[in-house]
Amino acid sequence: MSHLFGHNGAEGTGYSQPPALKPATAPSIPKGLVRQHAARWPRLSEPEMVRHYTWLSKRNFGIDTGFYPLGSCTMKHNPRVNEVIAQLPGIADIHPHQPEHQLQGLLSIYYEMQHMLGIVAGMDNVTLQPVAGAQGEFTAIRCIQEYFRLRGEDQRTKVIVPDSAHGTNPASAAMAGFEIVEIPSLVDGRMDLSALAAVADETTAAMMITNPNTLGLFEADISEASRIVHEAGGQMYYDGANFNAILGITSPGLMGFDAVHFNLHKTFSQPHGGGGPGSGPIGVKAHLAPFLPGPVADRRVATAEEVGSCVDGHRYHWHEPEHSIGKVQQWHGNAGAVIRCWAYYRRYGRGLKQMSEHAVLNANYLRHAIHREAKRAGVDHLFADGAETDVAKHEFTLSMQPAKEALGVSAMDVAKGLLDRGYMAPTVYFPLVVPECMMVEPTETESKDTLDTFAEHFAQVLNTDPKELHEAPITTPVRRVDEVYAARNLCLKHPFDDV
Amino acid sequence: MVDQLPNLGRELEMLNEMGYESMEDLFADIPNDVRFQDDLPLRGPQSEEEIIADARRLLGANTDLGSRPSFLGAGLYRNYVPAAVFQLVTRGEFLTAYTPYQPEVSQGMLQAMWEFQTLISELLGLPIANLSLYDGSTAAAEALTCAVRVHTRKASQPSTVYVSELTPPDKMSVMHNYCQGADITIKTLKHRKDGTLDMDLVSEAVGSCGVYVEQPNPLGIMDEGLVQLKDILGKNTALIVGIQPVSLGVLEAPGHYGADIVVGEGQPLGSPITAGGPLYGIFACSKAYLRLMPGRIAGRSIDVDGNEAYCLTLSTREQHIRRHRATSNICTNETLIALMGAMHMALLGPEGLNELAHRNMMACQLLKERLSNVDGVDIVHDSPHFNEFAIRVPGKASECLAFLDDHGVTGGFDLARWYPSITDQILVTATDQTRLPDIETLAGQLAVWSTHAEVSA
Repeated sequence: MSHLFGHNGAEGTGYSQPPALKPATAPSIPKGLVRQHAARWPRLSEPEMVRHYTWLSKRNFGIDTGFYPLGSCTMKHNPRVNEVIAQLPGIADIHPHQPEHQLQGLLSIYYEMQHMLGIVAGMDNVTLQPVAGAQGEFTAIRCIQEYFRLRGEDQRTKVIVPDSAHGTNPASAAMAGFEIVEIPSLVDGRMDLSALAAVADETTAAMMITNPNTLGLFEADISEASRIVHEAGGQMYYDGANFNAILGITSPGLMGFDAVHFNLHKTFSQPHGGGGPGSGPIGVKAHLAPFLPGPVADRRVATAEEVGSCVDGHRYHWHEPEHSIGKVQQWHGNAGAVIRCWAYYRRYGRGLKQMSEHAVLNANYLRHAIHREAKRAGVDHLFADGAETDVAKHEFTLSMQPAKEALGVSAMDVAKGLLDRGYMAPTVYFPLVVPECMMVEPTETESKDTLDTFAEHFAQVLNTDPKELHEAPITTPVRRVDEVYAARNLCLKHPFDDV
Repeated sequence: MVDQLPNLGRELEMLNEMGYESMEDLFADIPNDVRFQDDLPLRGPQSEEEIIADARRLLGANTDLGSRPSFLGAGLYRNYVPAAVFQLVTRGEFLTAYTPYQPEVSQGMLQAMWEFQTLISELLGLPIANLSLYDGSTAAAEALTCAVRVHTRKASQPSTVYVSELTPPDKMSVMHNYCQGADITIKTLKHRKDGTLDMDLVSEAVGSCGVYVEQPNPLGIMDEGLVQLKDILGKNTALIVGIQPVSLGVLEAPGHYGADIVVGEGQPLGSPITAGGPLYGIFACSKAYLRLMPGRIAGRSIDVDGNEAYCLTLSTREQHIRRHRATSNICTNETLIALMGAMHMALLGPEGLNELAHRNMMACQLLKERLSNVDGVDIVHDSPHFNEFAIRVPGKASECLAFLDDHGVTGGFDLARWYPSITDQILVTATDQTRLPDIETLAGQLAVWSTHAEVSA
């Protein structure tokens, strides 16, 4: 083990700093504010620090390490040129409060991204300010809330959410002050229109839904759902978590939605970073545009004198929407993520459709290959499709319930068995509507060979002696971690000896 | 031609094996009336070389702060981040991982975040820290809602919080957005003419759920009065202090003068400004807030063999379990930027942080001396400053800044953007990256402006 707090070398060994501008002067700090005890930080030299974090990195699994079929998270390859671009001083070393003429490049990229996201989503206006998907949800729901307040429809206090929705949907709507109305899904995991019709009324502010849904199925009745909600006077909100399935094929706008958020870290390859940063822009139809958080990037055609100093014949500027809800992040959102995703978009351009086609191709092929290999190995009776369907979209679900009943092998056991074979496990136990669920999303950046080999290994895991599988994983840096122990014996920081 | 798809050219082989003829078969479930009928009206694909050339051209049109003397801070600060941080953080095992849902193969990031929590806890003088919120503003906003959840039942001013009137409006706006859903009333606390908090009026906030102040405050002032706040407020009102982390190399940790929650913009430790994001929001608190706090928390545990192992803990507060009753909707946070912060802190060590804070203060002190010698320019507040302070200039601040800009200097922040009635003040900032010639240039140009402004007046 390498422990950061095990290092206590000489003072100031990490990196030496140049002298202060006034080396001989003592700082004038008010007496009562002088720090009495230094933070008990470790003391490491650079070689020790580099080795510690390299050691840690080797105990972590990323897409670069291996196949990462984590459903709902779209763990696609992160092109490295995006990292190079994000370190350029023209993005890394600029300040959001610089005057507009000093930020024409940033503004033009913001404008291009707003424009592109508007087109793929079928929305009229976009803001890039929200910094994560959940914040995008919250932002859009706030816009809808202010829209109704301005119309005097204060009685619209409820947001409808299917029971298969991501947890952030109800959490975001509740944070904005809405009451949550959860509607059950049908047995095949699809939306229940009659349940929706029964609850949609003059108290409905919005319905939040993702399509394809969390089982990876396209809700063909989506236009009808939009009609029901709109007829009740409510708004339709599209959770963009599953956008990777539909780019260039359909759009939330075409399905009748009024607002949508994007997870740029999923669809547009901002690296997930072990849990962030993300980027969660939202797009809205024109009637919601006045409520967007500002500023958003806008432009006008440059005058003859200006044109020489322009990036593309336009002068770019920030624009504050008329009835803006205000800000959800203090600055202009995660600009560094936006730049990476801009670079990713440029790679595809109008060919984004090909990206979604390959994402769906890979998901369906993997589903097919898993069934094929399981049959070959005689273990196809140990799991079932999470939902009856001919085709899935970018992800699919499997139920391990048969294995649980026949052998006592749970979805978690299978997940841990896959870790031992060098894979990240699929998402487990979500959505809750599928018993012993495994949610698998391969993304478009995996080769057929990887998918075939994973399918073989999946069948192998199911063929493993259940006793052995309960013991898995055995090849990982640690074995099964005791989460109950962690919660009962809280240790949230290094226990220094004197505490 | 797109180069990110390993199965290009193998589509038919894969489709045929599944019994399909064309890609279209995979989309047969999408009704025609919701389909795009044409290609997306977007530009064509580009190669990596073309993309990087365009990126250099467009981003090159931005004026990066390092290309000229700059005194712009106001919440984001240009500090040197050691090279090792950038080299290590782009290791794919960190960069391309996601939230550690499978702890057995995520020990690296889990341990790094547990160490981050320790570094932050030590820095702020509080026992508990989460592994980051989005930025300083959302951390402050979540602190207010957290304070209300904990205190409102016993409060004589239920669902009410008090916030320093100096809080930048953009941050205040985030607070309003986060608080309005819970019907929280935000009232303001006045400051005196010298920029410090008016301690005579603090008693108004007694019985409320929480009080938010900043140290150093938005005008750069180190406010000694804040150490008395907790005694006035008592135990049923959360004292929430917003900090600039570098300052804590010389300033007392707020946890040591009674702060219950400490938040801040982590950026100056570990991250470039990056046009204002991604950053990382610092959030730390005392034990009383633990079960109602927002954000992910890493804990140390054991595996089935009894070996040391780490995992996420206290997840029952979170949206994926608690859904609409969660303490926050946050899921994706700023882990990688927090990791950069941890790496920077590890290299600094306690003495290095002290030195860094000292360099910031000395640069600020020198800047203050030079500018106070410029005829026509006044230092607005006769209070000790950490790394920034307000100056009063002849004429309008916006025009003075435009003049400086024309002469190759990014002069600072026009305080009218925060406080519209103040039109002649600029917040000027120094950091460890401020050089003596930069200071001379600013002083020289301000002298020219002062003469020029007097002439035109």
